[in-house]
Amino acid sequence: MSTAPLETRASTVPSEVADRLRSIVGERNCIVESSQLRTYESDGLTSFHAMPGIVVLPASTEEVAQIVRVAREASLPIVPRGAGTGLSGGALPVPGCVLVGMSRMRSILEIDLENGWMRVQPGVINLDVSKRIGAEGYYYAPDPSSQSVCTIGGNVAENSGGAHCLKYGFTVNHVLGARIVLSDGEVVDLGGPVADAPGYDLLGVLVGSEGTLGIVTEVVLRILRKPQATRTFLATFPSTEEAGNAVSAIIAGGIVPAAIEMMDRLAIVAAKAATGVDWPDVGAVLLMDVDGPLAEVEHTSAAAIEMACAAGALEIRRPKDEDERALLWKGRRSAFAAVGRISPNYVVQDGVIPRSKIAEVLGDIETLSRESGLRIANVFHAGDGNLHPLVLYDAKVPGQEKLAEDVAGEILRVCLRFGGSITGEHGVGADKTAFMAEMFNESDLETMNRIRCAFDPQNRFNPGKVFPTPRLCGDRPGIYRPHSAELSGQADRV
Amino acid sequence: MISSRPATENDSVVGVMPKVVCLPDTVDDAASRIAESERTGESLAFIGGGTDLEIGSPPDRLDVVIRTERLDRVIEHAPSDQIITVEAGMTLTRLQSVAGAHGQRLALDPPLADRATIGGIIAANAFGPLRTRYGSVRDLIIGISIIRADGVIARGGGKVVKNVAGFDLPKLMVGSLGTLGMIATATFRLHPLPEASETLLIKNQSASDLRNLMAEMKRMQLEAAALAAITVGPRFDVAVRFEGFRTGVVDQRERLRSLIAVCELLDPVGEQRFWRRHDEIRAAGPMRLKIAALPSAIELVMRDVVPPLRGLLAAGGFIWYPKLGLGFLTGATTADQEIAAAIRKARETLALTIEAAPLGVRKLANSWGEPGAALPLMHAMKQRFDPTRRLSPGRFVGGI
Repeated sequence: MSTAPLETRASTVPSEVADRLRSIVGERNCIVESSQLRTYESDGLTSFHAMPGIVVLPASTEEVAQIVRVAREASLPIVPRGAGTGLSGGALPVPGCVLVGMSRMRSILEIDLENGWMRVQPGVINLDVSKRIGAEGYYYAPDPSSQSVCTIGGNVAENSGGAHCLKYGFTVNHVLGARIVLSDGEVVDLGGPVADAPGYDLLGVLVGSEGTLGIVTEVVLRILRKPQATRTFLATFPSTEEAGNAVSAIIAGGIVPAAIEMMDRLAIVAAKAATGVDWPDVGAVLLMDVDGPLAEVEHTSAAAIEMACAAGALEIRRPKDEDERALLWKGRRSAFAAVGRISPNYVVQDGVIPRSKIAEVLGDIETLSRESGLRIANVFHAGDGNLHPLVLYDAKVPGQEKLAEDVAGEILRVCLRFGGSITGEHGVGADKTAFMAEMFNESDLETMNRIRCAFDPQNRFNPGKVFPTPRLCGDRPGIYRPHSAELSGQADRV
Repeated sequence: MISSRPATENDSVVGVMPKVVCLPDTVDDAASRIAESERTGESLAFIGGGTDLEIGSPPDRLDVVIRTERLDRVIEHAPSDQIITVEAGMTLTRLQSVAGAHGQRLALDPPLADRATIGGIIAANAFGPLRTRYGSVRDLIIGISIIRADGVIARGGGKVVKNVAGFDLPKLMVGSLGTLGMIATATFRLHPLPEASETLLIKNQSASDLRNLMAEMKRMQLEAAALAAITVGPRFDVAVRFEGFRTGVVDQRERLRSLIAVCELLDPVGEQRFWRRHDEIRAAGPMRLKIAALPSAIELVMRDVVPPLRGLLAAGGFIWYPKLGLGFLTGATTADQEIAAAIRKARETLALTIEAAPLGVRKLANSWGEPGAALPLMHAMKQRFDPTRRLSPGRFVGGI
């Protein structure tokens, strides 16, 4: 992925286009100054940056639709953006694009507790959904670690997970409907509070499409009654091997934990440095939640602790109140940022392996670490095999950043070798497009591209993301005809 | 050489009989037959166990039916990872016995599991009462391979439960009724078999009683694995099934009993009898209507929608899933005109699809009802996947 030069410059969007966009959203919601545009040059994947042509901040579905029509007429690419916390460059601008920021669309529109749903605008912060209904005893299940800042629109784009998706599923399992603006400016509702709308599950395709199919302007979320009880415990182990065995035993015992998280020695050191948790210096910790009806939870937590001990746990800690529980989870949630305390720079990786292969894969990761001389901290959702290795490096050492990226890439190849995936929750974005061709073959990718072409035949939304090579949509699918952009020399078919 | 035979009535799709039936032994055989059909221009439909062949509108044309019954192999079962990959023609019962040998199950329980195949269940988005807790096919499928209209095999998803790489091809195929491609294999997340399961029956409940019961169960944080309400005249028999570890099941059962005095704990024989009755009503015909509404609309449903339709149907019954807001009306009818009129009237209140009906009713009432604003997008999807309209053309929503 190319990065744009950082010299100061004004908007590259033609002034008449900028004027039209300004008339839609208002002067102050239209950003063209290069110093202000720079705020939007990256998302959470800061090693990638590019300058948008213009940033617009709409306040309604109608404004989004108008923006899309103007951008389409001007043949400009459109990149939607939520809070910009994504870690794969999904909200990375395409140089010169119209970047549509959803930060002003942050109203909760409708709540229906009896039927278990809520209608929100995409700029609503994830955690604010649960806060709004918490007092009545309800919550929204998906809980990415960034939930206090990330938005629902971004969650929908990335199909965000979180620690508790082992039991409760991902964003896609909790989105009942969406209103989207299509590439021609049309507004369409997919799904809704009533189940099983006839037709294809386009909503299921939309969630996780990383801003390539449409711009989401309203979302219907499933909301759940809080479980009667939650039990949390932390178990320490001499090494990740015993911890991994404990996870396998618990799962094999028929328990479906709400969350089961693992951190290795280096991640523990970092978490302690950052948050002051008083965890011992051990090879690995497991942090586990079980939730549900009280009697069930008492039974399963006792059983899980017994299994952890049998697998070689050194110590079990049970929080005595909600504050202690929150502190344990803070240690886990802050793990990525905490690594900043022990290394000037690091790459956050996101890969998935079959759960039973944890020990073997960690062995391979350790080999990569030894061979490269770079330290790797491991934090992961052990229950579903979602690894987050953090490759530590120092950008001041020439060549080390590149080496760290290469090592992170090799970790994905390890995941693929074990039958896993190149991303469990962070998305492909701009970061992993090349790896898509290692996970899927040409027919698979060409088939996925048909989905994209059905939604956005001109490849207007977030071009350059997800797919390894630029792909066009023939006007007559199945029969090859040169695209007009190819004939005019604007694009090549790779 | 792929074996084939002349078609019979049993190979009909929504009443339309093909010319020939193919029975491929392998996915590759199926793919080459489909590629051949691309050259010859033959129209196709795919049949698994044939349990949901009445869903949709009659296809505009149908030359060849490909039956998946010989594609019935387990490709991979990794018990410790709780995943299974099977070919599309495997029956649900067979999959459950493979998983069950390791204390696991696929948490899906549509009727006629001994005939219904995995491919058919995906294509028809079939479900049963367990959907209450575990969701539907879309929530359990994690990977798929399909044969496209041009015979090309393509995969989506994978074999790990957590995976966001690429577009969600598995979900696109759920409920697509074979109009985008043939489902060849599928990978699912499995769940542990519960240690204990109990069903409580609450008889003679009105629609508003049912609504209150749901609210009370929610208030008490009771978590049922399955909920189903079956009408007896204008009132319901409501079944609540708890599953899990024994201590938890017993505790939930006792708390429900403290809530509602008339609650009857079914013995294993009674439990089996109840759920068999449920399955029989679900599978009854020749008329089957699916209705969808918000769960809170049940009083309206029972006042305005169900009585006029029930009055025209013999045998069968009405099953409502109170947490899902979905219900099925089944039975036999000879009053085509009247029932078609009642269907149109019901559609003024809620979404109703005809999942099975005599041809006479089909001619008078559209199977799908009003397609929504997303119809052009669905047409575009069909156009991209099946540009020459050979896969059950006309069977799907809005003439797709």
